[in-house]
Amino acid sequence: MREAFKRIKKSPAYSGLILFLAALALYFALQLIQDPESFFTFKTYRSFAGLFKNYAPLILVTMGQALLMLMGIIDISIGVQLSFANVLAVMLPEWTGMPIAAAWALTLCASVLLNTINGLVVSYLRIPPLLAGYAMIYIVKGINLAIRSAPGGKVPAEINLFYDKMWGGVLPTSVIIITLCYLGWAFLVRTPLMKHVYAIGGNERNAFATGIDSARTKVKMYALAGLLTGIGGLCYTAAYSTGNPITGEIYGLQSISACILGGISLAGGWGTMSCALFGIGFQVLIQTAVPRIFSMLPGNYNTYWHNLASDAIILIGLIGTIFAVKAQRTTLVTGLKKQVKGGGAKDER
Amino acid sequence: MLKMTDISKNFDAVKALSHASLSVKPGEIMALLGSNGSGKSTMVKILSGLVNPSGGTIEIEGKAVQIRSGADARRLGVAMAYQDLSLVPAMSVVDNITLGMEPTGRFGRIDKKAAREKAEKYLRLLKVDVDPATLVQYLMPSTQSMVEIAKAMATEPKLLILDEATASLHSDEVDALFEVLKVLKEKGTSVIIVTHRMGEIFRICDRCTILKGGETVACGEIKDMELDDIVFHMTGKRPDHSVTEEAAQDHLYKEEDLLLDVKGICIPGKLDQVDFKTYRGEIVGIGGLDGQGQAEFIRAVLADGKYTEGLIRFKGREVHYRSTADAVADNMGFISGDRARESIFPIRSVAENLFAAKATKGGLFAPLSARTIQEFANKAIKDYGIVAGSTSHPASSLSGGNQQKLVVGRWIALSPDLLLLDDPTKGVDIHSRHEIHEILRQCVKNGMSIIYVSSDNEELLEISDRVYVFYEGKISGQLAGEDRTEEKLVAAMMGLTGSAEKGAKE
Repeated sequence: MREAFKRIKKSPAYSGLILFLAALALYFALQLIQDPESFFTFKTYRSFAGLFKNYAPLILVTMGQALLMLMGIIDISIGVQLSFANVLAVMLPEWTGMPIAAAWALTLCASVLLNTINGLVVSYLRIPPLLAGYAMIYIVKGINLAIRSAPGGKVPAEINLFYDKMWGGVLPTSVIIITLCYLGWAFLVRTPLMKHVYAIGGNERNAFATGIDSARTKVKMYALAGLLTGIGGLCYTAAYSTGNPITGEIYGLQSISACILGGISLAGGWGTMSCALFGIGFQVLIQTAVPRIFSMLPGNYNTYWHNLASDAIILIGLIGTIFAVKAQRTTLVTGLKKQVKGGGAKDER
Repeated sequence: MLKMTDISKNFDAVKALSHASLSVKPGEIMALLGSNGSGKSTMVKILSGLVNPSGGTIEIEGKAVQIRSGADARRLGVAMAYQDLSLVPAMSVVDNITLGMEPTGRFGRIDKKAAREKAEKYLRLLKVDVDPATLVQYLMPSTQSMVEIAKAMATEPKLLILDEATASLHSDEVDALFEVLKVLKEKGTSVIIVTHRMGEIFRICDRCTILKGGETVACGEIKDMELDDIVFHMTGKRPDHSVTEEAAQDHLYKEEDLLLDVKGICIPGKLDQVDFKTYRGEIVGIGGLDGQGQAEFIRAVLADGKYTEGLIRFKGREVHYRSTADAVADNMGFISGDRARESIFPIRSVAENLFAAKATKGGLFAPLSARTIQEFANKAIKDYGIVAGSTSHPASSLSGGNQQKLVVGRWIALSPDLLLLDDPTKGVDIHSRHEIHEILRQCVKNGMSIIYVSSDNEELLEISDRVYVFYEGKISGQLAGEDRTEEKLVAAMMGLTGSAEKGAKE
């Protein structure tokens, strides 16, 4: 028991876990205060499970972001790419009349392709990831609006029902999808590929000197991040039964802050997928809890106040993680430098 | 086994290698030697794929090959232990050793047990006592170096390159390494050792190749060579072994003229108990092979880098600067040899560049007119003979030599009590170099003191009144007056003095 605790304390996810547990406690405390009669009934669980339904797209995108951040790359365009998958999934059946399953499989491929292109630009043309991501936002947003210029579109009701279904009465479909993706990670982390990713994030020049093809590895990870983003986009389509060309944009920045909150180093080479999950869990719970707190206060507050408060808490959390974890403190500065300057040059004296 | 012919490499205008050659037979331990700027590290980096040569051919086992990346080198059976390590600090020892060649089991998953066994095998071989699961960043520097060597060996290379691998090792670790090298040699592995420790060459190497100024100047059997011959080929001078750590002429200086007095300064792994004195109105040179602690010493004095032990007295007071700004406020100046990174503001005007140091004096919000800067710049340009088209042109429009004069002028205009120069004439043309020397001599006449680090022996002896020579973080020799000969300097550089000498002859 002691050993296990020690191990957790040393793991990169420790600070994220603490934040997550604190937010979880806050969430359930509020539930208890606001709804004391039915707290110990199934209703509490149902509303908690409901969070997964709504936030599965964001969670999946964060997982994708985590894969990139482990290499010291951040992709701010990952949010609009989710919207790309979303509108494409809505419109493909409408344009071509193809079956939904085929259309969605095609959407996943398109999403992977899109992010692979992003990866090629970053790794082979050596454009700094931040810059490439910024350009990508405008390109993808343009594509999205060309596909569907306004929110709307039809999604068969069965899909939404399937997505909302509680398997065995307790497991929402979204949780199963997230779990499957996490298992994918659990496999990946035991392969040489992930070791190479950590090496590139830790020190790209040394990884290169050791014989690792960093450009190719980067493209592979971009493709995987694209897959997760695509799945996220499909979840979004199923959850909201609509195509929306731009709502996903905010997910880009949210996923980045979630990864850092969870303890992934911005410079790369340090962190796990659990970090990303704890980070996004904290963020989602805070975003849900804050409006509830406001509703208990006298007076009227609009959603801007909610956002101000929850984002302020997230900011405090970010600062907290950076100062709590020594490794983070030192790597943040190098990480920021790396983001601006781009990857290490190969030829050196 | 390996044959490199006609290898050339230019970095911008600087020729690092020109028509150098190197050949190694199977089962041979080759020493690759050279003094500062000889190109030996460029040579091995070409072999490991970090640097692409501009010309020449590489043959491995009779086949012409191209090594464009670390992956290419590995494929060809070349592995290198880097002086500055190629480890990933946030990964475990076992992950580092097996990186890029992880043993895989079912479904492409890493076979953890096999990986651990592989790592342990090489750690045991090298007698490294470390838990393979520890992160490399928590290991001591010498252990990290051993892991780096284990990593190179674990690829089972046909050609193993050790680039100053022994520099940070303890003597028992060196012994363990050499034992392993002997075994590898029996098995037919070729080894290239780059080192500055002369003693080690005689202990382990079969042949040596000596580079000087980017060219191969000598190659031969170690057993046919004398230490003095090797040093002669490296530096062009025969070492004079009569150097001592204490300068004979110390008593010529008056105690009240003592400006800087450094006692027992230590930086772990870099500097070890260095005592250093500078008197008013003298130029003190610092010489030695590259990376023996010279730069760290200068920076410790300037408070750009922390020292763990020791005492610095400046102008009779004990000083503990918190930042370089404190040191500058106390009338120190610093000129770096790395213009691009540490001294020039390339897109700002010549006038602004000249004024940069002056700008640190005076109030932060004190009004500063363009005319003040202009007049200051005009005067400086006239005084120091900087050739500039116009003071309003960007500093990057000047030649390297003029840029460096610009930086020298910037500091001299402040007339600091002590000016520190870290290899300021690196890549500067001979004419500008002389002009800079002239300016510095003039300043010394006016009472300034100068500490001058140089990797060029001739220059060092020409400009300095007294020379300290660094070797492995210690002062191996001090030359003043009659002692300032290149022969003595060379001996001290190679550590062929007093106590170091004994080690070398072992």
